[in-house]
Amino acid sequence: MENISGSIKKKDHEAKINGSALYVDDHLMDGMLYGRMLHSAKAKARITKIILPELPEGYLIVDKNDVTGVNRVAIIIHDTPVYAEDTVEYVGEPILMVVGPDDQVVETILHKIVVVYEEKIPVLDMLTSDTVFFDYNYTKGDMDKALAEADRVFIETFQTGYQEQAYLETQGLIAYPQDGRMTVRGSMQCPYYVHSAVANAIGCEGKDVQIIQDVTGGGFGGKEAFPSILACQVAVAAKKANKPVKVIFDRREDMEFTSKRHPSLSTYKVAIKNGEITGMDIDVLFNSGAYTTLSAVVLQRGLICANGVYRIDNLRVGGRAVKTNTVPCGAYRGFGAPQTFFAVEMIMDHIAKEMGLDSLELKEKYMVKQGDSTSTSGKYHFHVPLPEMIQRIDELTDYRAKRKQYQQQIGRYRKGIGLSMFFHGCGFTGSGERDIIKAVAKIRKNPDNTVEILASNADIGQGLKTTFCKIVADTLGISYDRVYIDNPDTDRVPDSGPTVASRSLMTVGGLLQRAAEKLKKEWQEGKEQVIEEHFVEPDFVIPFNLKDFSGDAYPTYSWSVNAIEVEVDTLTATTKILGAWGIFDVGVPIDMNIVMGQMEGGFLQGIGYASMEQMDYNAKGIIRNNSFSDYIIPTAVDVPNLVAEIMNNPYTHGPYGAKGAGELPLVGAAPAYVEAMENALGANLNKVPFTPEDVMKILQGVNT
Amino acid sequence: MVNGYQATSLKEALKILAKESVTPYSGGTDLMIDPEEHATFLFLARISEMKNIIEDTEYLRIGAACTFTEIIENELVPEILKEAAAQIAAPAIRNLATIGGNICNGSAKGDSALILFATDAKLRLVSSRGERVLPIAEFYLGRKKTALKSDELLVEILIDRINLSNYYYKKVGARDALAISRVSFAAILNVADGKIVNCMTAFGAVSDIIIRRPDIDAMLVGKTTKEAKVVKKEYIAAYDQAIIPIKGRISAEYRKAVCMNLLRDFLESNGI
Repeated sequence: MENISGSIKKKDHEAKINGSALYVDDHLMDGMLYGRMLHSAKAKARITKIILPELPEGYLIVDKNDVTGVNRVAIIIHDTPVYAEDTVEYVGEPILMVVGPDDQVVETILHKIVVVYEEKIPVLDMLTSDTVFFDYNYTKGDMDKALAEADRVFIETFQTGYQEQAYLETQGLIAYPQDGRMTVRGSMQCPYYVHSAVANAIGCEGKDVQIIQDVTGGGFGGKEAFPSILACQVAVAAKKANKPVKVIFDRREDMEFTSKRHPSLSTYKVAIKNGEITGMDIDVLFNSGAYTTLSAVVLQRGLICANGVYRIDNLRVGGRAVKTNTVPCGAYRGFGAPQTFFAVEMIMDHIAKEMGLDSLELKEKYMVKQGDSTSTSGKYHFHVPLPEMIQRIDELTDYRAKRKQYQQQIGRYRKGIGLSMFFHGCGFTGSGERDIIKAVAKIRKNPDNTVEILASNADIGQGLKTTFCKIVADTLGISYDRVYIDNPDTDRVPDSGPTVASRSLMTVGGLLQRAAEKLKKEWQEGKEQVIEEHFVEPDFVIPFNLKDFSGDAYPTYSWSVNAIEVEVDTLTATTKILGAWGIFDVGVPIDMNIVMGQMEGGFLQGIGYASMEQMDYNAKGIIRNNSFSDYIIPTAVDVPNLVAEIMNNPYTHGPYGAKGAGELPLVGAAPAYVEAMENALGANLNKVPFTPEDVMKILQGVNT
Repeated sequence: MVNGYQATSLKEALKILAKESVTPYSGGTDLMIDPEEHATFLFLARISEMKNIIEDTEYLRIGAACTFTEIIENELVPEILKEAAAQIAAPAIRNLATIGGNICNGSAKGDSALILFATDAKLRLVSSRGERVLPIAEFYLGRKKTALKSDELLVEILIDRINLSNYYYKKVGARDALAISRVSFAAILNVADGKIVNCMTAFGAVSDIIIRRPDIDAMLVGKTTKEAKVVKKEYIAAYDQAIIPIKGRISAEYRKAVCMNLLRDFLESNGI
C-alpha cells in the first residue's frame, strides 16, 4: 500500500459524529417562510383552472407568473419549466408553491387548492413514445458485412428498471434575497450548475447569485441536476416574498417526483462466424421521462459501454432517449453504464451457453488489453488488470469449479455463481472537461501558514474534503491539520466543475496537486499566496468527437471483476446471497477506508438494483413505490458476506496515481447476480431487477 | 409536545380509558409511522400486569406489553413464537415493539399474530366493566378491524400448554431485516400412538385476516400418516380453494404459489 492510502480521520468526522454538522433543514433564518409544492396529479393534461382558497395574511402563491427571468431551468437543454405553464407532462410536475410562515398552514392551504385538468392520453411506455430527445449512432468496422457473412446471429433484448438513489437526506434548499442578490443554499452536488440555473430563472447576472452547499446527506447523482430545478423554484419564491424561503421534500415527494435511473431496453444482434464473434449491432432505448435533464450524457455513456470490456471489431451502436409522461430520469451512480453492461454481460453469457462454453471462457477470449482500440476507436492507453482480477476472484471463490458444480441441481435449495467484468470510464465523457467544464481550482496559503482549498466540488459523503486535504498536505509536506476546505460557496470558490462522473478526485484532485507543487516551490513563510490551476487535457488523449463518437471517450478506466454466489429457495422463490466479491482498480486509493466504504456501499446498491429495488408507475403514470416500505433497498443483513478488495494499478496522470472510484462498484453487480441466478435456475434471464416473482415464474415453468 | 397518561396499574389505565378518548401506547413503533398530531396517549409500558410471562396449569400467559426482545429471551416461550419474533423488523424495533401492539394493529401481516392463530391462542380483554377471553380468530374482524372495544385493553395472550415443538414456520419478506411479511406460514402437527392428534396451520399476509381453517385441518386428525396420505390430495385441494390472496404490491399468484408450496413441504416434512 502507498503511504497516501493510509486511513486518516475524516475532515467531517467530528461534526457528523457530535451532531454539530448543519444540514439545510437545520438552518433557521429570521422571517423565514416555508414552501410546499403543488405537484401535478395527472400525467398529461392542460390546466384549465386553478381555484385557490382565500390566503391568510403572510401567505402567498408562487407560480410561472412570478418567474422574472426565463421560465426554464438551465440544465443541458433548457426545456424543464421552473413552474408548469399551461400543460403538465408528468405526475408530480411542479405547478405552484404555497409559501408562508407556518408549515402546517401551508400544508392546509395546499390541500384546499383545486386544479381543474383537461386530461390527455399520456405516453407511459417508452416503446410507444413519439418524441425522441436524443438519438446517437456510431460504428466501427463494417457491421453490415459481419451480419451478411455470419453463420449465426444471436438476437436478444434486455430490460432494466428504475432505481431510486435513496439518499438519507431528501432534497432541500433555502433561498434568500440579500443586498439585491439572491443566495441559495442546501443539499447539492454541483453549486455552479445551480448558479447558472438560478441566474437564468430570476433574470440576473451571475455576479448577483450566490450558491452555498450545506452538509449533504448523500447524492449518488440524484443531486446533480434536480437541485437546479428546485433552486429556481425556491429563488423565485424568495424573490417574490422578499424573505428567505425553505423547501424540504418529504420522503414520498422525493421518491416519486425526483430523478432516478433510466429504465432501458437494449437489443443486441451478435454476428458469429466460424465460432468467433465478428460483430455486435446494438440498439439502446432509454426512458427519459418528460424532460431532457441529463439524458444526453446518460445515454452517451451507456452507448460507449455497450460492447462491455470486449474487443469487437465490427460494431454498430445506436441509442435513443425518448420522452414519456413520467418523472424525468437523471443521474445515478454509473449513469447509463449499468444498463448496457448488464445487457452485454448477459448476451456474452447466453452466447457462451449456446457454444457449449462457460461464459468466463468466452469473455476471457475477447477481453481487451492495453493498446487495444475502444468502442469509439480510441485506445486503452494503460494496463488492463482484468486477468489478475479474474485469477483473484477464482482464488477467493473457487468460481470455475462452483460454476460447473451448480449446473445440475435438484432439491429445495439451489446454488449459483456468476461473474461480471466491467469498467468505469473516468471523468466526463469525451471532450467535456476540455471544452465545457474547463475546471479551475485554487489553493490559498494564509499568513499563519495554513492552507485553504478552494474548489466547487462537494463532499456528499464520499470523503472528498478528506482526500483533497490529504493530497495538498502531502504534496506540500505539511501536516493534514493545517490544510482545510469548507463547503463550496460560489462567492469564494472558482468553478472546478460539478461533483459527478467520478471526476472530482482524479481531475480536480490533480489540479490541487499541481497547485500544491507550485506553492511548495514558491512558499514564503508568513505570507498570503494564492495559486490557481486550470485543466489541461493530457497529451496522450486522442481527441474525442461527439458527432461520430470517435476518439478517447475517457482518458483512463477503472476496472473491476465481481462474483456473486446465491442460493435460491425453490419453495418461496427467494434468494439468499451467500457471498459477493468485488476486485476493484481505482488507481491508488487516496484513503483506504474511504475507498473501501465506497466499494462496499456501491456494490450493495448494485445488488439492490439487480435483485429487489423495484419501482414502477401504474396505468395513470403514478409511481406507487414511494416509501421505504414499498421501495426495498438491501440492508447489511442481506449481504453479510460482502468482500471488496483493491488492486493497485496507479494512473500516471492522476494525483498520486488515483483515478475515478465512486461509480465503479455499482456498475457490474447486476450481471454478476443475474448470471448466478441463471446458474442456479438453469435458465436464460434477461431483466433486472430479477425479483422473487420472476424466479417463481421460472420455477413454475421449469417444474410444471 | 406529546400529551398522555403514564398509567402505573391496570386499574388506573382502565379508568382513564373508560372516560377519555386516548390512544393506548405500548411500544409505539406502529404509532410513530403515522403519528396523530393531537392524540392523547395512554402509556402502558409501566403496567406490571401487562409485562408478565407466566405459566399456569392451562396456559402460558404472555403480557400484552411484553416486547419481542423479552419474548425471545424468556425460557417459557415456545420456540415457534421465538423464531417468528426474532424475524420481526430489527433489534431496535424488537426492543420496543410489543406483542399486544402486533395483535391490536389488526394486520394479517403481524408475524406474532400468525403464531397465535396457528396455536389457537386466546386473548384476555379487560375493561373497567369486566373482562372476557376471546379466541384470536374471533378478535380479527377484517383488515385493520378488531373486536377490541374502545374501553378495553388487551392484557394477556393465553397459549394452550400443548406440545408445540413439532412446528413448521416460514416468513417470506422482501429482504432479511426490516421487512413486512409478503407471505407467512406456521403449522404444528402432533402424532401420538401412531395417530395425528392435532394439525394446526395458519397463513399470514395473504388476505385481510390470517387464514386459519380448523375444519380443513380436521381432515388429518385421528389418522395415521399412511391414512393422511390418502386424503392429502383432498386436503391440499381444500386449501387451494380456501386461500384467495389479495393483490398487493406483490402478485396474488406469487403469494398463492408460495402458500401451496409451503403447505406441501410441511406435509412432506411430516412424512405425509
